[in-house]
Amino acid sequence: MTRKAKLRKDPWPRVHTGPLTWWRDHRRVAGETVHFVSARLGASLLVWLLVGIALALPAGLFLLQINLAGMTTAWEGRPGLSVYFDLGLAEAEITAAAEALGSRSEISSVKITTQAEALQEFQTYSSLANALDLLAENPLPASLRATLRDGASLMDLELVAEFAGRRAGVSEVVMEKTWLQRVTDITRVVSRLGLMLGVLFGLAAVLVTATSVRLAIEARLEELRVLKLVGATDRQIRRPYLYFGAFYGLGGGMIAAMLISLCLVIIETPLTHLLGSYGQNLEMSGFDPKFLAVLLVVGGILGIAGALLAARQRLADLEIN
Amino acid sequence: MGHIEFHQVTKRFDNGHEALKDISVEFDEGSMTFLTGHSGAGKSTFLKLLMCLDQPSRGQILVNGVNVTQISPRRLAYYRQNLGAVYQDHHLLAHRTVFDNVALPLRVSGMREKDIVRRVRAALSRVGLLPKEQLFPGHLSTGEQQRVGIARAVVPRPKILLADEPTGNLDPELSQDIMHLFEQFKQVGTTVIIASHDHDLIESMNSRIIELGNGSIVGDRIDGHV
Ligand SMILES: Nc1ncnc2c1ncn2[C@@H]1O[C@H](COP(=O)(O)OP(=O)(O)O)[C@@H](O)[C@H]1O
Ligand SMILES: [Mg+2]
Repeated sequence: MTRKAKLRKDPWPRVHTGPLTWWRDHRRVAGETVHFVSARLGASLLVWLLVGIALALPAGLFLLQINLAGMTTAWEGRPGLSVYFDLGLAEAEITAAAEALGSRSEISSVKITTQAEALQEFQTYSSLANALDLLAENPLPASLRATLRDGASLMDLELVAEFAGRRAGVSEVVMEKTWLQRVTDITRVVSRLGLMLGVLFGLAAVLVTATSVRLAIEARLEELRVLKLVGATDRQIRRPYLYFGAFYGLGGGMIAAMLISLCLVIIETPLTHLLGSYGQNLEMSGFDPKFLAVLLVVGGILGIAGALLAARQRLADLEIN
Repeated sequence: MGHIEFHQVTKRFDNGHEALKDISVEFDEGSMTFLTGHSGAGKSTFLKLLMCLDQPSRGQILVNGVNVTQISPRRLAYYRQNLGAVYQDHHLLAHRTVFDNVALPLRVSGMREKDIVRRVRAALSRVGLLPKEQLFPGHLSTGEQQRVGIARAVVPRPKILLADEPTGNLDPELSQDIMHLFEQFKQVGTTVIIASHDHDLIESMNSRIIELGNGSIVGDRIDGHV
C-alpha cells in the first residue's frame, strides 16, 4: 500500500503534518525549557552542581589514570637498570659491557659513570662529601645505566638484567622494576576505581536529573492532562522533559569541567614540585577540547536518561477525567 | 470522517453502578444531536467514552468503523486532534492567557504561528472574547471561561464536536448564539453531539434529540417526531 493510500484509509489523519511541524514543536519546546529553567534558576543551579560533582569525580580519576599511564613511559628515569662494576675494573671492560648492552634491542640508551664521575657527583650532592676526603681510595664503583626503549615490558627488563649479571666484572645489577611495577599497579587500581565510581556516580547523575524532572512534571500535571486532551502525542508531552534532562546534564558537564580545571590549578604547584624533584617536567595531559566535549556529551546523555526514567514513571499513567 | 456508532455499550463503575446500559446508537456524519435526560442519566459518561477518557465495560464504540476503545496511544492522540470537545469543567490552563489556551490544539498540531494567530482571533471574536485575549482564565466569569473552552474546541475545525453542557452558565441569548455556532459546523460536515438539559434551547433547534434515563435510551426523535 502506498503512503497516500494509507493516509486516505486512516480515519483520523494527523492534523497539519509537514516537514516543519517537528522542527516547530522542538523550537517551541526549547523556548519553554529556557523559560521554565530561568524561572527556577536557583533550583536549576543546584541540579547542575549535583550532576557536576557526580561527573567530576570519575572524570578526574580518568584524567589521573591517563597521566599515570603516561608517566610509566614519559618519566626520564624510564624503566631501566643500573649495573655496578667491581672496583678498579679496566675502562675497556666497562666500555665493552656498555656496547654489549647497547646492542640489545630492548635497550635504547646506555650511559657510563666512571669512578671519578661518581665521586664528583657524590661530592656535589652530598653533605658527607668531606668525609670521603679522609679516605685514600675512591670507594665508589663505576656504573652504567641502561634505559629500556618505549613499550618494553617487565619481562624484557628481567632478561636484560640477567644478561648483564652474567658478565665478568659486574658486581651488582639493580632493576628499577619496583617503580615501574608500582606505577602500573596504581594505574590499574585507579582505572578500576574510576570505572566503578563512574558507574555509581553516573547513576547518581541519572537519579538527580530524574528527580528534578519528576518535580518539573508534577508541577505541570494539570497542563499535561490538557495537552493530552487536545491531542498531544506522548512524545510531544515528553519532549520538554527530555530537554530539561539534556539541559541539566550539559550544565552538569560544564560544572564538572570547571571543578576539574579548578582542581588542576590547585594541584599544579605541588605536582610540579613533586615531578621537579625527579628532574622531570611533566605536563598534565588529557584535559583538552576532546575531553571537554566527551564530558558534555556524557552529561547530556545521562541527563536525557534521567528524564526518560522520570517520564516513564510519571507520564505513563497520566490519567485524564 | 465523523460517523459514530455505539454498539451494545455498557459502562459499569468500580462501585457497581451502571451508568450506561447496553446502549446501541448511530450518528451520521454531519449530523447534530442533543443528548438530554435528568441529572445522573449518563450524558457525561456517554461523551467521556466517546472522547476515550474512560473505557466501556462492554461493547464497542466505532468511529468511521474503527473501534476507538482499542487504539494505540499515538492513534488516540491523532483521534483527539480531530475531535473538538467542550468539557463541563472547562479544563483551561490557569497560567496561560485566553489566547494561549485557545491556541493550544493548533500548537500541538504544529501549525505556523501566523496561521495560529489568525485562527485563534477568529474563534475568539466568534464567541465575543477577542477583547479579553490577554487575560487569564481566573479573571473571567464562568460563562466567559465556558466560551473560551468552546473557542478552543472549534478552533482546529474538528470533524467531530462534542460538548458537555456547553451553555450551562450562559444566558439564553448567548446560548442561542453558541448553538448557531455549532450548527455552522454541522453544515460543513462536522458531527455534533451536545449534552444539555436546557429543554427550551433544545426544542428550538430542530435537531435530533436522544433522551437518556438511568443509563438507557428512553427517547430518540427528530424535530418532534418519534
Ligand atoms: N467515576 C464514577 N464512579 C461511580 N459512579 C459514577 C462515576 N462517574 C459517574 N458516576 C455515576 O454515573 C451516573 C451518570 O453520571 P453522568 O454521566 O455524569 O450523568 P449526567 O452527565 O447525565 O448528569 C451518575 O449516577 C453518577 O453518579
Ligand atoms: Mg453531566
